Amino acid sequence: MLINEHLVALNLEATSKEDAIRKLAALAYKEGRINDQDKYIESVLHREAEYSTGVGFGVAIPHGRTNAVNEPVLLFATVKSMDWQSLDGEPIDLIFMIGVPEEETGETHLRILAALSRKLMKAPFREALRSVTTPADLIEVMRENDLLSI
Amino acid sequence: MKILAVTACPTGIAHTYMAAEALEEAAKGKGYDIKVETRGSVGVENELSAEDIASADAIVLACDTAVPMERFAGKRLINVPVAEALKDAGGLIEQSLKADLYGDLADQVSQIKSQKSAERKGVYKHLMNGVSFMIPFVVAGGIAIAISFIFGYNAFEQEGSLAAYLMNIGGGSGAFGLMIPILAGYIAFSIADRPGLAPGMIGGAVAMQLNSGFLGGLVAGFLAGYLALLIKKYIKLPKNLQGIMPVLVIPVLGTLATGLILFYVIGQPVAAINTAMINFLQGMSGSNAIILGLILGLMMAVDMGGPINKAAYAFGTGTLTAAIGTGSMVMAAVMAAGMVPPLGLALATVLFKNKFTVAEKEAGKAAWVLGASFITEGAIPFAAADPIRVIPSIMIGSALTGALSMAFKATLAVPHGGIFVFFAVENIFGYLIAIVAGTVLTALLVGTLKKSIEG
Repeated sequence: MLINEHLVALNLEATSKEDAIRKLAALAYKEGRINDQDKYIESVLHREAEYSTGVGFGVAIPHGRTNAVNEPVLLFATVKSMDWQSLDGEPIDLIFMIGVPEEETGETHLRILAALSRKLMKAPFREALRSVTTPADLIEVMRENDLLSI
Repeated sequence: MKILAVTACPTGIAHTYMAAEALEEAAKGKGYDIKVETRGSVGVENELSAEDIASADAIVLACDTAVPMERFAGKRLINVPVAEALKDAGGLIEQSLKADLYGDLADQVSQIKSQKSAERKGVYKHLMNGVSFMIPFVVAGGIAIAISFIFGYNAFEQEGSLAAYLMNIGGGSGAFGLMIPILAGYIAFSIADRPGLAPGMIGGAVAMQLNSGFLGGLVAGFLAGYLALLIKKYIKLPKNLQGIMPVLVIPVLGTLATGLILFYVIGQPVAAINTAMINFLQGMSGSNAIILGLILGLMMAVDMGGPINKAAYAFGTGTLTAAIGTGSMVMAAVMAAGMVPPLGLALATVLFKNKFTVAEKEAGKAAWVLGASFITEGAIPFAAADPIRVIPSIMIGSALTGALSMAFKATLAVPHGGIFVFFAVENIFGYLIAIVAGTVLTALLVGTLKKSIEG
């Protein structure tokens, strides 16, 4: 499973983009999905520097592909509106953070991420994400949208 | 409207798919058809086919990585970073519909050619498949023979000499001997797929034994192909024996049937027709030959690489198969006339600068090369822009060239190559006059007929 309740942070307190990425990386580390927080964060920030992963609609999808990742991971957070240098210039309040191992480990998780990316373009899905109140809710939304497994 | 798009980004994890979704939604909103190829981490999905591209009105590339582009030549296309599709997918689609055509003239021409071959249907498609497989054999053989002649026309009679070896490579015991079997084999292959190949090639070899030439090869190819289809349709084997159909049943029955029908029934009449045709062509001189050159010239220019052009071309190639060593006047006239349309238009863009757009003048430069290489399709972009004035001009120019080439009795020993095979032309001086005359006439006609461009 790419995501579970322990990989969800609702109303995450974050002072900056980097802070948010650090806090989510810590969650992934605690769950054993990544083996080197600094290295993973560096990879995500490196990707961020190419151009922002704030894709618009209030959504950011920071991601990193590095061998600091043990197994593919998806993290979700809601935050107070914050700047992410998004493509549309608007602040973001939803974060999906992704980690993928450097070496290819099958394509199931990649298919899920592809499907998630497509879903994020749809307003009803984003509304559903914004209305979750517990991590279990979030997992349920993912399940309803066939994003837990393919 | 049909829009195609390709999305790709370096990591291929998210943007690729979000951009694809955004473009799909935007197109749906406008009521357009859309197909989006995603080149993400999962690999290439929903790949655009040649048919998709042929039928598309415009292409949107939202990519941060290099993607294969040649396939889009001649299409309206915009190429933007993937992020642009997330910002304003609808705007990109509208922009793409007004975008410039992708690629230079040479790319556009090769695209037009591949579209045409995709559009080919039925008998014509099978014929052209056979001809296109045969051409390299004719080219290689013709050139080997032409080189042999450099040592003197009879030099090959000296056993063990280089000239003799070259003749053995190119002539009837080498490349030219394979021509008709290859023609027949690949006509049958086009009709019946792989199982048709053996009956077709062997049928072609039988046609050669019967001295029925090019015409016999055509007949053998179609006969073998359709017989192979019939066998496939009507002979039903138990399931566990079906594996032997393509390797045993169809080749053996198809070959025997084709060969025996050729020997007992149609071989002799076809050979008689073929011989009569060759005698007619070889005996033709004076005004008859000139009229034939004129007609072939008109045919080469009228549709610039279309079925009529190819019919004249196939006819020219056919005369080559009967003319080992001597070269063919018909082939020479066909190639000269086929070179004239792009050359004439290229000359017109130089002589009448105020009658062509900047893009056309640029295209004119490429048209020199295409014309010199005997790619008649190089005229298509000009003709498409102004068919009423361009097509008659190139037809008249090509007709003049065809007629003159015949009048000068120029011959050609290879079926393709333009100026690069001029060493295989006999009476090259007359040949050049014919080509230049048609080129100049085409340019003058186009220049006179076309109106000046405003401003």
